[in-house]
Amino acid sequence: MRFFLYALDPGYVLKTLPDLWAGLRWTLAVSAIGIAGSLIVGLGGGALRAARVPVAAPLVGLYVELFRNTPLLIQVFVLYFGLPELHITLSAFTVAWLALVLWGGAYNVENFRAGFQSVYRGYQEAARALGLSAGATFAAVVLPIGLRTAVPSLTNTCISVLKNSSYMIAISFPELTTTAIGIVALSFRVFEMFAAIAVIYLGLVWVLSALMAVVEQRLALPEGA
Amino acid sequence: MPAWVPPVARYMAGGLETTLLISLVTAAAATLIGVILGSLMTLRSRALTAPIRAYVELWRGLPIIVTLFFIFFMLPAVGISLPAIYAALIGLTLWTSANCAEITRGAVNSIPRDQHVAAAALGLSWVKSMRYVVLPQAYRRMLPPLVSLLANLVQSSALAYIIGVLELTESARRQRERLAILGNSHSLEIYGAVMVVYFLICLALTRASARLERRLAV
Repeated sequence: MRFFLYALDPGYVLKTLPDLWAGLRWTLAVSAIGIAGSLIVGLGGGALRAARVPVAAPLVGLYVELFRNTPLLIQVFVLYFGLPELHITLSAFTVAWLALVLWGGAYNVENFRAGFQSVYRGYQEAARALGLSAGATFAAVVLPIGLRTAVPSLTNTCISVLKNSSYMIAISFPELTTTAIGIVALSFRVFEMFAAIAVIYLGLVWVLSALMAVVEQRLALPEGA
Repeated sequence: MPAWVPPVARYMAGGLETTLLISLVTAAAATLIGVILGSLMTLRSRALTAPIRAYVELWRGLPIIVTLFFIFFMLPAVGISLPAIYAALIGLTLWTSANCAEITRGAVNSIPRDQHVAAAALGLSWVKSMRYVVLPQAYRRMLPPLVSLLANLVQSSALAYIIGVLELTESARRQRERLAILGNSHSLEIYGAVMVVYFLICLALTRASARLERRLAV
């Protein structure tokens, strides 16, 4: 098959599969750490924000504004090229997952905060009236209800974290995109390689959203509850 | 002010101009394409909505870097030679228009169908009823997410550096490489300054989006 000057060679992809697999493993590793870490950061930060804890809540707010309003790419550069000036040198792998945790965490703080704040205040007052402490009210009332509301937006952020692991090409971290672009630069097999990584990324996004849909279904409250 | 700062700042101001240019041109093209595709997606013909859905899922689902590289390498492979900035504009427009289409679809679907029926009863064609009846109402719901999409676009335009477009991020990278040869790259200061510039632009946009959301709340 030809378009203009280009002759398609779909079999070429097979030869690159071992390399793509190695890249995919790094993508999965940093995405998994990034997603897990950003959920933990988001849960803690979102709880502090929703409870309006003095000092901590405004500090978390500052962190959220800073990381949501600057490009992830620049955050990666500051961690990788800027910090060594302060004599803190991080490996590309550390920067890769840390940047994703910090960036995704900022979005997840807002996702969790919105979920927690959507919980009807009367429930919290009722829990306090029954003698539950503030902590117990959060754990037994706000968290279970707010988490359910937050799941769809948490899903979106987790998918973004996965896709944004591709930013790590900027620091030559050998994840999937870095690997594929390296192959394209050597072979000029543009269409074959992009078809391959498009299928992989879209597949990953699809699997992740299917997983989150299962979580959402498992958590769903029975009708009328 | 240290002597290394003024030339670096002048150089990066040029980069900032390109960043703003890329963002504005992309935003204009993507809004036009996105609103049209999003409106068409609300039709009941699957033959028409299926390819649009595929377009939206593809360009939203792929990492923007992958799209940018694809366009950048694909154009010369099919015999089209254009400066890298066009590849950046095309790639960013694909991603932004896909998101804009999704926003438009949601907003148009939130308008009661009776409005369409009433417009049709008055003799308006589908295009005219969209243009004069539905979209003017839907835009109240579209504007806040579109402004926050614009903030996201400004941030994503930084990725154009990777195919060699001399925008803000690339201008910073070149200056730090130049200074590194002279001894001290000043990476922290330079990337810190870049961060502040993006922060101010995006904070203004996200604040505007939040304000619009309160003001235009239906």
